[in-house]
Amino acid sequence: MVQINLPENSKIQKGKYYKDKTGSKNIRKVNVYRWDPSTGEKPRIDTYEIDMDNCPSKVLDILNKIKNEIDPSLAYRRSCAHGVCGSCAMNMDGKNGLACTKSHDEIKGDINIYPLPHLKVLKDLIGDLSTLYKQYESVQPWLKTSKKTDKENIQSKEDRSKLDGLYECIMCACCSTSCPSYWWNGDKYLGPAVLLQAYRWIIDSRDEDRKERLKKVADELKLYRCHTIMNCTNSCPKGLNPAKAIAEIKKMLATSNI
Amino acid sequence: MKNDNPLSPHIQIYNWHISSLVSISHRISGVINYLFFIFLSIWVIFSFLFGQYYDLFNNFYNSFFGKFFVIAITWSFTFQILSEIRHLFWDFGYGFDLKISNITGLCVIFGSFIFTCLVYFIGRGII
Repeated sequence: MVQINLPENSKIQKGKYYKDKTGSKNIRKVNVYRWDPSTGEKPRIDTYEIDMDNCPSKVLDILNKIKNEIDPSLAYRRSCAHGVCGSCAMNMDGKNGLACTKSHDEIKGDINIYPLPHLKVLKDLIGDLSTLYKQYESVQPWLKTSKKTDKENIQSKEDRSKLDGLYECIMCACCSTSCPSYWWNGDKYLGPAVLLQAYRWIIDSRDEDRKERLKKVADELKLYRCHTIMNCTNSCPKGLNPAKAIAEIKKMLATSNI
Repeated sequence: MKNDNPLSPHIQIYNWHISSLVSISHRISGVINYLFFIFLSIWVIFSFLFGQYYDLFNNFYNSFFGKFFVIAITWSFTFQILSEIRHLFWDFGYGFDLKISNITGLCVIFGSFIFTCLVYFIGRGII
């Protein structure tokens, strides 16, 4: 259901202010969402003054700097730092993206960092994505074939090129958590990330389960909650187009006898 | 299992894009048009049954608020139609490119105002 306001336990309080100790002249303020499950307090926004003269170019570098030099209690996910693993997905400056590929130069004014929107927070910038992973599992993201052979399952160049723009998805959940439809119906609607994956398996020429896959996804809530708001495509850090993938599924359903 | 963890902020912090703005306006204008059609039907039935009170509605339309109402409804209609055309192209699988969808979104926003002005001027006999 649409619920505009945050529940009482999620209202954000003013937090601590960490003044710069380096005496640098090039200072930027960074506001970070904090919540610690062990204290029982409400979430708060902590503000850090960052010495930008000694900080590399990405938002993740700022977070690393905070954790290493100012406040080691800050929790966030990160791994590859090259936009490949999708761990450091978060909301920066009002838009979802990967902290490791987003330059802080692009952000004007103070830098606001929140966890991915409309998720249960586990700690600080870490959201609970278990619902999304369950939904991902439900589309059975693996090849299904009845052929039992020792040879390669060959795919033509044209068929392979159909997977371009789909296989690159790293499941960072930037798109799904940017989608208002997914905010209000996240328990039933599959969301852009999972639907893009569903489409990736539907159009794979080697897969023999296309009809079943389409049937499974053809649901008022699972699929048709997509109203082409396009926040997903706007936020995808890999430049993919989940909105188009969803539209292709809808088109396939409209033109086939299912 | 009950989960008492806080919910991360969503609509409070998320930036508006052209596409999301057009999308929510499409919904709102749709609801307004729906309500207006009910009003329109009441007006027609009322004029048919109680012709002698025709002036009642006429006075309303000639008042300042009535004029604003009519122009607002014209905008809501033109917006809905243009946005619906955009949706129609989407249903055929065209126009999903981020750049194109932003351009068509802007076309819908500005087009709706231009068409509203056109309808007004033509209705007034200025053009």
